[in-house]
Amino acid sequence: MTLWLMAGLLFTPLAWAVLTLLTDFVWGRRVTWVGILVQVVVSLGLWLTVAQNGGFYYDLGGWGAPLGIELRVDGLAVTFVLLTAAVASACGLHAGVYIDQHKSWHRYFWPLFWFLWSGLNAVWLGGDLFNLYVGLELISLSAVGLVALGGKANALRASIRYLLAALLGSLAYLLGVALIYGQFGTLSIAGVVLWLDNHSAPAGPGLALALMITGLALKTALFPLHRWLPPAHGIAKSPVSALLSALVVKASFYIAARLWLAFGESLGSLAAAQLVGLLGSAAVVWGSWLACKQVQLKQVVAYSSVAQIGYLFLLFPLTYSVSEPISLQAQQGITLQVISHALAKAAMFLAVGNLILSVGSNRVDALAGVSRFLPFSLFSFGLAGVSLMSLPPSGGFAAKWLLLQASLGSGQWWWALVLLAGGLLSAAYLFRIYRASFAENPETDRFYHPSKSLEVIPMVLAVMALALGFVSEQVLSVMALPFEEEGAP
Amino acid sequence: MTIPGPALAILAVCLPLLYPAMALQTNWRRAMRYALPLLPLPALLLALGADSGWQLELPWLLNGGLWAMDDLRRLFLLLTAVLWAVAGLYAVGYLEDRHLRRFCVCWGLTLAGNLGLTMAVDIGSFYGFFALMTFAGYGLVVHEGTDEANHAGRVYIVMAVLGEMSILAGLLLAASAAGSQLLTELPAAVAHAPQRNLIIALLVAGFGVKAGLPLLHFWLPLAHPVSPTPASAVLSGTMIKAGLLGWLVTLPLGEIALSGWGALMVVAGGVGAIGAAILGVLQRRPKAVLAYSSISQMGLMVLMVGAALADPERAPVLFSVIGLYALHHGLAKGSLFLSAGVSLPAGRMGQTIVWLLIALPGLSLAGLPFTSGALAKLAMKAGLAKDSLDFELAGYLPLLMTAGAVATLLLVLRYLWTLSAKLKTGRNPPMLTAGWLAAVAVSLVAFWWMPWGVAGLVKAPVWLPAPYQLWALVWPMLIALAVAGLALLLSRNRSGARP
Amino acid sequence: MTLEEWMPLFALMISLVASLVIFALPEKGYVRRTSVNLGAALLKLVVVVVMVWGVFHGVNYGVSFTMVPGVTFVLKADALSMLFAGLSAVLWLLTTIYAVGYLEDSPNRRRFFGFFSLCVASTMGIALAGNLFTFFLFYEMLTLSTYPLVVHRGTAKALRAGRTYLIYTLTGGAVLLFAIAWLHSMAGDLPFRDGGHFVGADPDIHGSLILIFILLMAGLGVKAALFPLHGWLPQAMVAPAPVSALLHAVAVVKAGAFGIVRVVYDIYGVEASSALGLLEPLSWLAAFTILYASTRALWQADLKRRLAFSTISQVSYIILGIALVGPLAAIGGLVHLLHQGIMKITLFFCAGNYAETLGIHRIDEMDGAGQRMPGTSLAFTIGAFGMIGAPPLAGFITKWVMGSGALAVDMDWVILVLVGSSLLNAAYFLPIVHRLWFREVKGSWPEERHWGRLETSPWLLWPPLLTAVATVVVGVLASLPFSPLSWAELIVLRESSP
Repeated sequence: MTLWLMAGLLFTPLAWAVLTLLTDFVWGRRVTWVGILVQVVVSLGLWLTVAQNGGFYYDLGGWGAPLGIELRVDGLAVTFVLLTAAVASACGLHAGVYIDQHKSWHRYFWPLFWFLWSGLNAVWLGGDLFNLYVGLELISLSAVGLVALGGKANALRASIRYLLAALLGSLAYLLGVALIYGQFGTLSIAGVVLWLDNHSAPAGPGLALALMITGLALKTALFPLHRWLPPAHGIAKSPVSALLSALVVKASFYIAARLWLAFGESLGSLAAAQLVGLLGSAAVVWGSWLACKQVQLKQVVAYSSVAQIGYLFLLFPLTYSVSEPISLQAQQGITLQVISHALAKAAMFLAVGNLILSVGSNRVDALAGVSRFLPFSLFSFGLAGVSLMSLPPSGGFAAKWLLLQASLGSGQWWWALVLLAGGLLSAAYLFRIYRASFAENPETDRFYHPSKSLEVIPMVLAVMALALGFVSEQVLSVMALPFEEEGAP
Repeated sequence: MTIPGPALAILAVCLPLLYPAMALQTNWRRAMRYALPLLPLPALLLALGADSGWQLELPWLLNGGLWAMDDLRRLFLLLTAVLWAVAGLYAVGYLEDRHLRRFCVCWGLTLAGNLGLTMAVDIGSFYGFFALMTFAGYGLVVHEGTDEANHAGRVYIVMAVLGEMSILAGLLLAASAAGSQLLTELPAAVAHAPQRNLIIALLVAGFGVKAGLPLLHFWLPLAHPVSPTPASAVLSGTMIKAGLLGWLVTLPLGEIALSGWGALMVVAGGVGAIGAAILGVLQRRPKAVLAYSSISQMGLMVLMVGAALADPERAPVLFSVIGLYALHHGLAKGSLFLSAGVSLPAGRMGQTIVWLLIALPGLSLAGLPFTSGALAKLAMKAGLAKDSLDFELAGYLPLLMTAGAVATLLLVLRYLWTLSAKLKTGRNPPMLTAGWLAAVAVSLVAFWWMPWGVAGLVKAPVWLPAPYQLWALVWPMLIALAVAGLALLLSRNRSGARP
Repeated sequence: MTLEEWMPLFALMISLVASLVIFALPEKGYVRRTSVNLGAALLKLVVVVVMVWGVFHGVNYGVSFTMVPGVTFVLKADALSMLFAGLSAVLWLLTTIYAVGYLEDSPNRRRFFGFFSLCVASTMGIALAGNLFTFFLFYEMLTLSTYPLVVHRGTAKALRAGRTYLIYTLTGGAVLLFAIAWLHSMAGDLPFRDGGHFVGADPDIHGSLILIFILLMAGLGVKAALFPLHGWLPQAMVAPAPVSALLHAVAVVKAGAFGIVRVVYDIYGVEASSALGLLEPLSWLAAFTILYASTRALWQADLKRRLAFSTISQVSYIILGIALVGPLAAIGGLVHLLHQGIMKITLFFCAGNYAETLGIHRIDEMDGAGQRMPGTSLAFTIGAFGMIGAPPLAGFITKWVMGSGALAVDMDWVILVLVGSSLLNAAYFLPIVHRLWFREVKGSWPEERHWGRLETSPWLLWPPLLTAVATVVVGVLASLPFSPLSWAELIVLRESSP
């Protein structure tokens, strides 16, 4: 059973990628629907298996580490796998209707989509540094391609910039991996942790860790390495932006988090942790500030991503030399933050896509009066915004609560101020958009109504983001012991 | 057959309260007008028919309600009911159609408040009815809608609200000291309360606004001339008596000797009695003169309250005198006010009769023998007699009373003088005449059958003064006549025109 | 799940479901929407009445589950919750009726009524919350659901007012969240409990407790319009009258005051708060707010703005009553929660009637309105006298009980505050009453509309008349069981004997 699930999880996306290379856009869409169904079923099945039996290590093809590919299937990993299934299916279904089927190069959307999905799954389940690198590269290249699918000059410019940033980040990461290998002789994370438990930490690997984290931070667009994100996410097509903001940036963060939680205590330092937290706070403030000034709707949402990513990096100071329960709280909070941000941001981008389609302009002030014609999408946007502002009763609020507890409990109360200020700042730019939609403008009456399916999808995601607030206990319990080992390597 | 007191009490208060509901229909205007004199009838029955001592418990009302009647309250209730009835009769003929329903609603509400406060024993009901009367009375004052009426109304309401707040503070403190919501428990508690002086000051000032205490009286001379005549009548006749009643039920009379406060009240009363007279004789408008006359008469009653405060032994006696005096004054002043609106008949004979009927209540006020005023003055003299009062200022009281008597007649004469300039000949609406005549009749005749008591101060038969008493009553009047005649001569010599 | 667990959830769900249904109905579905509105309001009233009866007889309604690790979502119905819940259920029904009439012919009704129901659901949640976390949840939901109501008209002025509203309430919410999180990390998940949790607390944590209390007051004080956090309220008057009525009588300001009551009584405990020296400054602040706001009301020429400042002043009565450490004063403060609600909603309904029927917004346009609209003006007069504290209306009961309570704990200065504020109330309400009844109409009305025989639409006329009657009844029959006064006495009784 597990064999089939694992196979389905890893190989279906690759197979579908190849399949859709051969089709045009319309057929590719139909094929994708089948693939989505398979993936959702498999992801759900795997999640249920882990929920019942606990996490496990899985050797691909039966070949164990260190030569074979060993996958680590724990609670956190399957949660993210399921998250990917949800968000990617939503984006895929949305894209099928949203993207213009008549442009011939759009047929490449589907292969890129499937490559992206497989890369994501590889990253969530990876336990080996090099495999993570492979997954990361797969993701980056697919993402660049998806951004460039816009075809216009500015899209190409944005994607080139994205490519450069991604490659640079990967390079730094690879360098770090090489250094680690040189030092410890193994590429498996578990192996390195075992080594560190038995010996004291040598001087060198701190640099390796720093390089890796820096590279990953660049890929995650942490301030001040964030300049590539707003053009890329803002100019890409809405379903693509959704995938990028929701999942792609999370993948590099996921790896950074894994690394920090495994090696951070031994190889990192207090100064480093606080520095990263500081950069995260700066991202929150700077991103929100810029979001308030944007004239285009999607740019607001893109800068909002920059801001929200800042929160994620609070994991670093909140898990460094703090007590077990506090560290657990911080991890739970960040997990919820990742999940709720993914759902909410995807919903937001998809809803914004609908709004832009309807109003015919991507300016914020063009939204006047839209509440009368497209209330459903506007409402999805609103609900997603609630989670983004981390207001109750959403998943974002649950995340904020846990992070507040962690920061107050560990005595690092300044992060609490950052969290609260961030919430207020996000309210500033989001209510700017709500306000624009409440304004009455009797002149604009040219509204185009997108199809119902386009409107339902963001609503479903937004409702999930909200519902996360109520079931967060259950969701987190599946992770039982998140990021911890269940069995020996 | 005993009439059930409690049931009548509720009916007495609720009947006038129907008026706001009746005002909703335009075609009930006539009914409202003609029903005006009928409204106080249940109260009248109650005051005359039921025995004292009934109690009505209303535990669900406000903070726990209790209505009852004793002798003092009965007198006040009787005065209120009678005067409102005759004034109501007068009003049927007097009122124009303009804003009739508004006037009737205000009339009804003020009446309900006035009646209710005489029967209320718990603080909530008392204060409630008092406030109702005060606020609804505003509508009567500003009814005419002229600038002068609005100005008078503004002064009235500002002073009234300040007075209400002072009363509220005083009642709160007193209730807290007494630990009870009943008025009957207050005097004893106030007498022994640590904040006694503060409480008494608040209550004296608060009720004093209504009663026309000097320095708190400014609204009176403004409000009386501008309000419609029947309203002025009840304003002076019964509403200001509510302030007096307030003092009588809350101040620690008969509990403890308060010579400081007593002296203050006596001085205030004296100032009021004489000062008002001086200001009053200079007035040109008849109703303004009457207003000052009310202040002056209330001054005499304040005097008695002061004496009661100073000498607790004497207080029960003085209570009955005050009640009697209030009844007499109310009826007489009411008649005087109502006469301000009559028209004279054509013939000389008729005019003489009318003038006589106008003057008699006034002379009664001044203490003409065989009138209610004579009895009241004699009782007051006996009550405040120097040897029976344990009070430093007791020596000055007879002088003040004499001065008061002189002042009274002067004012009455001034009133008649100014009235003669104003009255015209013509036909009176029949109801107006009926109301006025009824008022005069009650003041002069029916008074003698009313249930007042003089506590043995005046020997029977009370309507017949002894010779020495006759002289005591008459000589101040002679002085006043002399002064008035002198004034007339002087003014005629100087300008040759009417002063 | 037992019936006792279902009831609070049910009470909450009714308006939530109603809100979703209304959002799902088309804009033109007037009849259906009105029936959903009224049906849900009636149903909620029935449920609340059942719960009030139950709580009176000692039934324990409550439900809880873990929402986020370490903290529970708790709904619990005790006497204090039912005071607020009862008020909000009754007034929701009346405001719904009023709003249906008021918004006839206006656009975006679906959006309005959807968020309206959501707002009531949030209020019910606040009333039934069993700990600070749950309270906060619904508190912020209230902010979110009232914003669309404030900016409903979509004019520049409305949007500006909405922005001010958000700045105040969201910032207050952030401060509140900080305080709640701090308290939670210090003391764990504290449910609301009669008598509070910090009686005889360890002196080490006194400093933190004081700081947390100040932060809590700041966060709650925004909605409760305590000086100087009251600035949003007069600006929010630009919203339609049903919104002002609901916001100012029931939902937002009362939620803030209710939160303060909960913190002082059921988290800290009255003795603990007073021992920490927290209540006296609070009472001074409340007293200052009372007098300051009443003074500002004198200068307002716009009717609704005058009423807004009056609200700011009146809500602080509740806080003053709570801050005076004595059962009688507490009864006065609590009962004012209800009394103020009824009286203020009457006044706002009337203000809305004048605006809708005659186009009047300023006080100097109100001359002679009593002749044209006697029913509304009668309701207004009753409400005004209630505010002044004239017996036998509801306001008098509050003032008398609070005054007696203050004297009972030797805080005589409170009498001055009560008297002073009554004088100020008289100063700014009586001129309006005079204009209504004793002035002649100046020419014609700005924008008159006619509704046949009645002075205005029956949807607009009956709610203020009913609440005016309630003002009288609640005052006159104050000593009956189940009157607001008796219920407040019950709360304080249960509070002091845990």
